[in-house]
Amino acid sequence: MAEHENDVLIEVENIVTHYGETLVLDGISCQIRRNEIFVIIGGSGCGKTTLLKNLTGLLRPTSGRISFFGKDITAADEDELSQIQRRFGIAFQSSGLFNSMTVGDNVALPLREYGNMSEELIGAVVRLKLSLVGLAHAEHLMPDELSGGMKKRAGLARALALDPPVVFFDEPSAGLDPIMASGLDDLVLTLKQLLGITFVIVTHELDSIRKVADRVLMLDRGKAVFMGTLDEALKADIPRLRQFFDRRADDFIMQRNA
Amino acid sequence: MNGQRILCPETIDQDSGRTLFDSIRNRSVGRGEAVVLDFGETRHMDARGGAWIVAIANHLAAHHASLRCEGHTGEVADLMDLIEPGLAAADKPERIEEKFFEEIGGRTYKYAGEFFDFVNLLVDAIYWVIIAPFEGRGFRWGLWIDEIYEMGVRAVRITCLMNFLLGVIIAMLSAAQVAKYGLGIFVADLIMIGFARELAAVMTATVVSARTGAAIAAELATMKVQEEIDALRGMGLNVAQFLVAPKILALLIVMPCLVALGLLSGILGGAFWGILFMGFRPDNWFNQTIQAATLSDLSQGMLKALAFAIMIVLVGCHNGFRVTGGSRGVGLMTTRAVVMDIFFIIVIDIVFATIFYYILE
Repeated sequence: MAEHENDVLIEVENIVTHYGETLVLDGISCQIRRNEIFVIIGGSGCGKTTLLKNLTGLLRPTSGRISFFGKDITAADEDELSQIQRRFGIAFQSSGLFNSMTVGDNVALPLREYGNMSEELIGAVVRLKLSLVGLAHAEHLMPDELSGGMKKRAGLARALALDPPVVFFDEPSAGLDPIMASGLDDLVLTLKQLLGITFVIVTHELDSIRKVADRVLMLDRGKAVFMGTLDEALKADIPRLRQFFDRRADDFIMQRNA
Repeated sequence: MNGQRILCPETIDQDSGRTLFDSIRNRSVGRGEAVVLDFGETRHMDARGGAWIVAIANHLAAHHASLRCEGHTGEVADLMDLIEPGLAAADKPERIEEKFFEEIGGRTYKYAGEFFDFVNLLVDAIYWVIIAPFEGRGFRWGLWIDEIYEMGVRAVRITCLMNFLLGVIIAMLSAAQVAKYGLGIFVADLIMIGFARELAAVMTATVVSARTGAAIAAELATMKVQEEIDALRGMGLNVAQFLVAPKILALLIVMPCLVALGLLSGILGGAFWGILFMGFRPDNWFNQTIQAATLSDLSQGMLKALAFAIMIVLVGCHNGFRVTGGSRGVGLMTTRAVVMDIFFIIVIDIVFATIFYYILE
């Protein structure tokens, strides 16, 4: 896939988003390339999740353009948007599994709705996706019988169901123990490598960022303060970015600047 | 090694995977036989191709044969390592058939457990409503006023409307029967006695159980699911004191008021029919109504209202606390609460009717 390395998959141009009167995102632009792990970082309430909702078409920005495979989703109607949404998977922060169905049925749902396949193959795909995330034994369990980390992985399996080229992952390691979180990072790297999936990950876990990120976008109070490769991010001399990677509290930087 | 060896193509994807699957399905594979997939020449495999390999394993397992994979290297080996558990995934857990007596025992145990939980809740509630205030222990008055507004004031319109319509219906039905004998004026008595003893209380309780009973069950179930109830407990606070007692006290005030309004509306409904369609003079009709009112009938309705109030809150709370699972559990428990409410309205009604029939008359 070397020749596709620099293909732009998602192009975000100058998006502005409001919640009511409150400005949440103020002119964000970025490009997400094929087969990279694009990490969006920033403190709580900086607009990370809002940006993710914009990218996935769950929330329309006030202005700006988001093109996916060359199609603008901010101008797309319901049908076009749904067509595009089938081409990516979303793994939610609190897993978003349907409580009333088994884990296997959760993964099978998009396959049954869109996949146009026989039940036999659906069963095989479900089993494959679950074993990819290490949950082959959990197919017949209900979501409330799973631990937090298992729910996250089951959510990822469902996001992978339709073999999407892009997967959005909101806070993969939030609320997990370090071992589990690290395992999930390995999984993301493996899936990227083996299946050529592009990941867009929202996180604020430093270890996880250092391990998986190819490129990093940092948001602060609705503005993009940095975009570049992980190496550049680790070297860059931007106060907010340094503060984030060095884990310094706000007071500290304010005292020093004062 | 007996068994069939199949050489896999260079790339395994959607199409070549299907071809491979079909070729294996068309072979006759004996019981206990092993099929070997040779990946020696395979260089690429994608997720859909992997799914076909799992489908092959499922197919063979269903025919009591087994699958072995050999010769995979590089990228394919990495993917096969991930797929491995899926090839041997366990089948559905078998349901254990319960024997007849086991089932009876199991159910009895379950319902007895639920009954004791309910009694516990009742005892707790009685303590926090009746005894605790005299011991000077806290009661949340602010919450209580909110509950009264939500349960009572907002239910006035629907309660009055339903009772009014029921009054019209009862008058209409009975008028057709008694008018034949020239006893039309006694419809006023019937409406008065019927609504005072029975109809106002039952109709209002039905409305309240659908509004308030469902709301209580849904609220507490959601609180339980979101660990708010554990949070209360963790702070050393009593759930019955904070959540159950204010609701019971609120509904104990609200319910008699609503029943009284329901009674008035029912009488007006009857009068509407009696005066406009049966042609009685208003003063005659209302005199007859007032004459028919007895303290015994009115108190029976009011006592029932109090019993319904306690029952509706307790059933709502009880079901809310028993929720398991997430969003689906909340829905199930809310439904269950309303069904139990309606059932217990009738049970309480029969108990009261029996007591008043045999003892007080």
